[in-house]
Amino acid sequence: MTRGARGGTMTKALFRWFDERLGASHFTRKALDKIFPDHWSFMIGEIAMYCFVILVVTGVYLTFFFIPASEEVVYEGSYEALQGTHMSVAYASSLDISFDVRAGLVMRQMHHWAALIFMAALVVHMCRVFFTAAFRRPREINWVIGVTLFILAMMNGFFGYSLLDDLLSGTGVRVGYSIALSIPVAGEWLAFLFFGGEFPNTEFITRFYILHVLVLPALIAGLLGAHLAILWRQKHTQFKGPGRTEDNIEGSHLWPSYAAKSIGLFFIVTGVLAALGGLVQINPVWLYGPYDPAQASAVTAGSQPDWYVGWLDGALRIFPGWEIRAFGYTVANPFFPGALLPGITFGVLYVWPWLERRFTKDDAPHNLLDRPRDAPVRSGFGAATLSFYTILFVAGGNDVLASVFKVAPESITNLFRILVFVVPVVAFFVTRSACRTLARDKVHPFGGAVGSRVRRTAAGGYEEVDDDDPPKVGAVVSTPEADPYRPPPAPGS
Amino acid sequence: MPAERRIAVLLVLSTLAALGLAAVYVAGGQPQLEGALLGIALTGIGVALILWARGLSTEGAVIAERGPLGGVEEDEEAVEERIEEVTEEPGRRSVLKLFWAAGGALALSAVFPIRSLGPAPERALVTTAWRAGARLVDVDGRPVRTDTLQVGGTTTAFPEHAEHAGDSQIVVIRVEEGAIRPRPGREDWSPRGYIAYSKICPHVGCPVGLYQADSHELLCPCHQSTFDVLDGARPRFGPATRSLPQLPLEIDREGFLVAKGDFDEPVGPGFWNRER
Amino acid sequence: MRARVLVALALVGGSLALAALTVGASAAPVAPRQTPTTTSGSNAADIAGGRALYEVACTTCHGNEGEGVENRGPSLIGVGAASADFYLSTGRMPMDRPRAQAERKKVAYSPVQIRQLVAYVASLGPGPPIPRIPASAGNLAEGNRLYANNCAPCHSSAGAGGALGHAVYAPPLDKSTPLQVAQAVRIGPGAMPVFGPEALDDEQLASIVRYVEYLRTPDDRGGFGLRHLGPIPEGFVAWVIGLGAMLMAVRWIGTKD
Repeated sequence: MTRGARGGTMTKALFRWFDERLGASHFTRKALDKIFPDHWSFMIGEIAMYCFVILVVTGVYLTFFFIPASEEVVYEGSYEALQGTHMSVAYASSLDISFDVRAGLVMRQMHHWAALIFMAALVVHMCRVFFTAAFRRPREINWVIGVTLFILAMMNGFFGYSLLDDLLSGTGVRVGYSIALSIPVAGEWLAFLFFGGEFPNTEFITRFYILHVLVLPALIAGLLGAHLAILWRQKHTQFKGPGRTEDNIEGSHLWPSYAAKSIGLFFIVTGVLAALGGLVQINPVWLYGPYDPAQASAVTAGSQPDWYVGWLDGALRIFPGWEIRAFGYTVANPFFPGALLPGITFGVLYVWPWLERRFTKDDAPHNLLDRPRDAPVRSGFGAATLSFYTILFVAGGNDVLASVFKVAPESITNLFRILVFVVPVVAFFVTRSACRTLARDKVHPFGGAVGSRVRRTAAGGYEEVDDDDPPKVGAVVSTPEADPYRPPPAPGS
Repeated sequence: MPAERRIAVLLVLSTLAALGLAAVYVAGGQPQLEGALLGIALTGIGVALILWARGLSTEGAVIAERGPLGGVEEDEEAVEERIEEVTEEPGRRSVLKLFWAAGGALALSAVFPIRSLGPAPERALVTTAWRAGARLVDVDGRPVRTDTLQVGGTTTAFPEHAEHAGDSQIVVIRVEEGAIRPRPGREDWSPRGYIAYSKICPHVGCPVGLYQADSHELLCPCHQSTFDVLDGARPRFGPATRSLPQLPLEIDREGFLVAKGDFDEPVGPGFWNRER
Repeated sequence: MRARVLVALALVGGSLALAALTVGASAAPVAPRQTPTTTSGSNAADIAGGRALYEVACTTCHGNEGEGVENRGPSLIGVGAASADFYLSTGRMPMDRPRAQAERKKVAYSPVQIRQLVAYVASLGPGPPIPRIPASAGNLAEGNRLYANNCAPCHSSAGAGGALGHAVYAPPLDKSTPLQVAQAVRIGPGAMPVFGPEALDDEQLASIVRYVEYLRTPDDRGGFGLRHLGPIPEGFVAWVIGLGAMLMAVRWIGTKD
């Protein structure tokens, strides 16, 4: 039987053609055999990656139509409620994409949904890595790259939604400018150089554009490549389990199994994004109207940033009216929640592997993961931190909450000022306690105990034991010699 | 349903959806249909791929050794030796230091194009376009007269000669005469109940666009800073740390509202040199 | 497998139901257009009828002659027909007791009774008349611009309303008739500022009215409008529906140990 008769003739011929020129067969053979663990939580990073791919694909399409210019123009497109209105070319081109380019709105909405879900997947992925302690040696580099990717993605999202130059995002740019201004010593220069002068002005659109479509995506793509290459080199971690050790890896081969599942996931991710892109409206910029960079005197009630910046906005809202004024200098109020808080947040995130090591004194390399219950203090810190930023995020909607529940925004703000300290402390202790209970009892809090306890009788049969029926003193408990039915220990364990 | 049948159904569904998408597009497009059909087409292929992967004979747990990751001692020493070739040779060390110095100076000079990115702050943050005698005009350039506003009314205004100056935006409010409690030195800044404040919030610069007429408060929609209009726009609640700067007003002979001068302090959010 | 399919269907179905509710909630029933009443055409019979109604329901808070009662109700002298018609036709008045904010509720009077009460209140003193808005007046884009500058800071760009201080709020505008919008602009009810004819002339007012009317069913070509509350419900959808569906997918694809 010739090889051709078993199918895949063209693919095989193509592979040989390349191999004769590049000599990649050895690498390819090893690569196809590479093992990837199959746990579902290891695919969350892939969700984020595929969202990034869709961001690039839809983003390239949008660049064919979007014009990053702040020159003023009179709108003549098909949206009646803005006919004859003065607006920037950038905003007008965003309206054209939404109203006058066929399938343009779906592309634009897919792009925006992908950005929101990209950030959400990054958060969940980061949590998975944190709570399973995958950042431990030798994976500190990838942790640092990961935190950097998170920051870059957040910045890119901010620049991206500000490009449309609508009223809502323009308000956000103003906030960013003011936070830069509040930085001590260098703030004024930083703000003027980055934004091209005093705000409001027309410089920022072209600068944001190049950052958003070239600089930051290139950095993200490069770091993502390094992230994957390091993962490839070090091999993925795995959960503890029967037959798994620090020195082996269990899972599926890259080819065909893992590749098929991964590509299938890509299609599903893209499918969800496409469905959202057409069925659920996002960022209806035509309702907000254009941002006027000259007068900049309009604003809308219920001004919120996209969710992943919401924690920052919430911090700005609940931080009290404190400011430092001394010797003629001012450390302005927005500096503390707007610059210092994120600085501390990301600073701690960056050094966490080394910070933790100081306390655990555990410098050994790990390829096996912790379960959250195996490290109650780390999990407690993680839960406390998550709840802290969640409270801040919810506080970013204090005016919306106030109008929905018909209470004063002052009350909501004061409530969050208390919750932001109380809830993380409570979360720490509750989580730590839950982890300790879980680790000790080996009983899942949602699942409960599975099966029943049985006891061997002297006659050789089994009898069921009640949970509150303790073994009698002196009773024979199973020993290897006494129990021929117990399976032998696994080789090498 | 056996696996192959399920996969086939999914792929047929996906194909039909993709064809439907093409038809919708040709017919003029409709976002909801586009999204739904594209979603079905993509998800169908994705789920079919997963089902197909599960049916593969090689699927299942495979186990292998990881292999060593750390450095090979031999290689590490060899690399260290090569590094030392450059640093350890007599005479080369001081030259190396000069290389660092030259490179560092070059890197520093490469920073200077950054200076071209924007103008120096200078007085820009401290002054606005308001001058003595500047007439107030609204966002459309129409002058603000004494009969423009009723008691309890408000409008946004700019200087007539600089009606597109974003840093000069003010909010003009007309309250009942005598209701204002002027700050010392500002007794003649608010004639006949007309009072004007900078509209730029001293927190992070949002326009303070909400006027609550019954409690005479200006509210900023961004982070809920609240200012008492009758008390020099003192911040009553929220993260703002300073009052809104007040623009001194007077009424000229023709009944137009006119500024008596610029603000007596910088407008907008705080910055390092604000008090100087 | 079956259980997961059911969960997936439940999630999709639940989301669709949620979306349908929000869409349904925002497409509010159109309030019946109140018969516009004018002070110039009101006669003594209307005023007398209004006086009779007033004595029954209004004197406790607004006084025997409409002079107001401290800590209960403001004076009605000079508030004009526009005020009376606005408050009565939106159901804001009568109020059961003094509150921080008069809220829109079920209208308590018939159109004839409202006409009579309006005539009586207008007779107490000169005040803003009921505005006349010709149906063809006003320009949508101009209304958009004026709305953005004057109304959006409190009522939001989409007319969804917003919070003010002291537990008072700027209400959503989806239930307001064109006449009620015009009246509110002219009288500045409650916390709202006053925009008289010198601030916004009748043509501009007509434009704003047109735009607010448009906001009741704005262009939602992108899909479910999420009540036009902005990035917050969008973030919710991204996490719960978007990432939720994807996480369900990976749980199906991968193993659990």
